Parts: sequence; structure tokens; C-alpha cells
Amino acid sequence: MKNVYLDQMILTTCCPTNAGSKMLESYVSLFNATVVEKLTAAGYEIAGKLPVGEFAIDLVGETCFHGKADASPLRDAMGGLSFDVNGAPRRVAAQNDLVFAKPTYGIVSRFGTIPVACSGECVGVTAKTVADCREILSTIVGKDERDGTMHADDVCQKSVNGCQKSVKRVAVIQMEADDQVRAHLEAAKTEMAANGIEICEIDAGVIGAAYAAWNMLMCAELCNNVSRYDGIKYGYRTKNYKTLDELYTNSRTEAFGLTLKSAILYGSDVLSTKNYMAKYDKALRVRRVVVEAFADIFAKVDAVMLPACSKMSYTEGDSPFVENKFTAPASITGLPAVVIKGVQLMGPAFSDGTLLDLARVIAKEGK
Amino acid sequence: MEKDTLLLLEKVNQLHLEDAEKETVLTFFAQQEQNAAILETIDTTNTERMVHVLPILTVVREDVAQKLFTRDELQRGAPETMDGYWQVPRVVE
Repeated sequence: MKNVYLDQMILTTCCPTNAGSKMLESYVSLFNATVVEKLTAAGYEIAGKLPVGEFAIDLVGETCFHGKADASPLRDAMGGLSFDVNGAPRRVAAQNDLVFAKPTYGIVSRFGTIPVACSGECVGVTAKTVADCREILSTIVGKDERDGTMHADDVCQKSVNGCQKSVKRVAVIQMEADDQVRAHLEAAKTEMAANGIEICEIDAGVIGAAYAAWNMLMCAELCNNVSRYDGIKYGYRTKNYKTLDELYTNSRTEAFGLTLKSAILYGSDVLSTKNYMAKYDKALRVRRVVVEAFADIFAKVDAVMLPACSKMSYTEGDSPFVENKFTAPASITGLPAVVIKGVQLMGPAFSDGTLLDLARVIAKEGK
Repeated sequence: MEKDTLLLLEKVNQLHLEDAEKETVLTFFAQQEQNAAILETIDTTNTERMVHVLPILTVVREDVAQKLFTRDELQRGAPETMDGYWQVPRVVE
């Protein structure tokens, strides 16, 4: 039996989906996410739910109200689906020697996921091997009429299952990381070179600033998306209220954690009349600059490699809004990324299958 | 970020912060202001906004009424209900 875990951002009717938040601690959806329907239709068994940080915006799940996030159950399963909003599943994979594929935006349905930052979030696949990762991803790709932000079905299918371009040249984006991470990069470079792939180094340039724009866009979108949680229709309701205003405010204040509150307030500030043009509008323009920078790079090379995190374990004080320097480039552009052996590969849109082929080379995994 | 502005943001977003939390949030804002300064160094003259990475058109569905869920199903996750209605505090005196 093929069994997979789902993270707590993916709706299921069989068990609660809590988004790592007290706000949704006993929430059970009335419907399954499309990706869940696709998996079960293909014969997969849902092994259970894995904790996530509150609304999936933290480092590696440390802000989960329901207990510490733990990737170890994935070792007993074929893999899992994780919701990539701010790069947490990529960091988890890099630090736990797992494979993670963040697909090109719009080839996997987001219907039935808890919305946070809709313009960049997506459902990705964590697995122990590249082959398992590809198999699960192949199962969940495809047009879904219930998600209005998808590509045509043949485009979705070809991204993963079509004939893949062979990788001849890879650029390593120079970004600061510790010695352990650098060792992973060096090992991957060695393996690619041994397989005849030409390696070159490039400066991060504007790509290194993508996280600054993504933080603004993510917080702005999150602020709007979590405004629906008011203690009325579903979710947590405070016991401490007399008026409607007190019900709203106390429910949200008691249920949300401080990291989430900070992001909500910042997002609201970014969208305020005073800051809209200088911050939100600027971030949207920088998104295009980053997309164009990647287009220039992919005119010269087939893929890029960069770290997925600055170090292999975190300590108190590390911030997801700084550490996402490595993951935001793929989030803000919608480009595919694959984490393998502690490094992150990125390619042009719809090169998901090509990146998995390259990951197989780095992992020394047979076909 | 002035504390008065933070107070306004709290009100708009229906959140209340304790004093110690305000300090944490203000530190977060200060870090994000540094990010804003980074963006200022990037030339976006003549660059159009990119709201979405896909050229998304408005999704139009057929205007057909559907009954996807019953009232009971929809109220299953409600914190408080009464006689088939969502219960809220009295808003009219």
C-alpha cells in the first residue's frame, strides 16, 4: 500500500485540519482538497496529518500550536504533501535529508488548501527518494476547474511527465551560508560535474532581494486571508466577550500566535493608503524584475542551484522572514524548485521533470 | 512605526497586543523597514506591476444555483448556534 501524509494546511473530511493554529484546533472540513481526491482515486492511503507552523509561515513548524513539527513520520511513509507558503517544507527537507518538489505555480490544484499567500503558495511533495517524489507529484498534477489559477491540463502533465530536456549547464547562485551547507553545495557540484554537467557561478543580484518583496506580498495577502477568522462561523470563539467587537477581537487575540499577529499587522500596514504605492506596489514591480532576471539566467543555463537554508539546524532568534532569502525566489516567481541532499535546484517554468532528473543525478539514484 | 499607528493597526485587524508583544511587533516592523530599503535600491522605472505570475483572467462560471451543503453541515463547525442560526451577541439595544 502506498501511504502518504498530508500537512495540516490540506483539507480532509476524515480528520481535523488545524493550520497549526488554535483558531482551527478542531475544524473538520466538509470536503477534501483536490489533491487528496486525486491521491485516494489513485489508490494511495492517507497515513495521517503532520503538524505545521501556524498558517505555514514559520521556519520549520516551530510556531505550531498543536506541538512541535516533526518530519520523522515521513520516513515510514512513501512521502507527504506539504503546503509551501514561505519555504518551510524546503527547509525541513534540506535539514532532514529528504527530497521536496515545489511545483511550477498552477500545475497542482490549490482547491481545498487553507489560503495564506495565494499568489505564491502551492502544494508540494516530500519523499525519501526522487523516484517516490516524482510518482506522487505525477499523481497530483493536472487542471482542476475548481482552481481558477491553473494552466491547461496538457501543460500541467507535460511539466512532470513529458519528455524532459537534458541538463547541460547549471549556474550556482552565490549566497552566504555556513560550512555545512557549502559542503552540500560542493558535493552536488562534484556529482553534476562527474556526469558531464558544466557548472558556473553567478551573483545573486536582484534575486537576493526577492525575499524583501515576498515578505511584503506574503504578509499583505495573509492579512486579507486570515481576516475571515472572526469566531462566528467556525473556528475558535473566546469565552470572554459581551459585545460583538469584543467577540471578534478577543477570539483573534487569544487564538493567533505572535508571529502570525506580526505578519497580519505588517501586511495591513503595507496595504494602507500611506504605504500602498511605496511598499505593496513596489514589491509587485520587483516581482517582475526578479522574474525577468531568472528569464535572462535561463536563456544561458538549464537550471540554477542555491542553498535552501543558511544552516542545517536553527536556534532561537532565527527568523523565517530572513531565512526565506533562499526560498522566496521560487515563491515570488512561481518557478519550480527541488530540494535534494541539502541543496535547492530551480529551473524555468514547467521544468519540474527536468529538475527531478537533475536531482536524481545528485542523489546518485538510478532510474 | 509610531505606537499610535500600531494601535490603529490593531484596531483595524481586531487584535489586541500586550505591551511586551508590542515591542516584539515593533522590532519585526523595524526589520521589515530594512527590507523596504533594500527594495528602494532596485530600479523599477518603466517596470509594470506583476500581481500574479500567471496571466489570470476573471474566472466565470455558469450562473447556476447549487446546493452543495445543508444548513446543518455548514453549522457543524460553528462555535455557537441557536435554532439553525449562527449565534452572536446582541447588537441592537
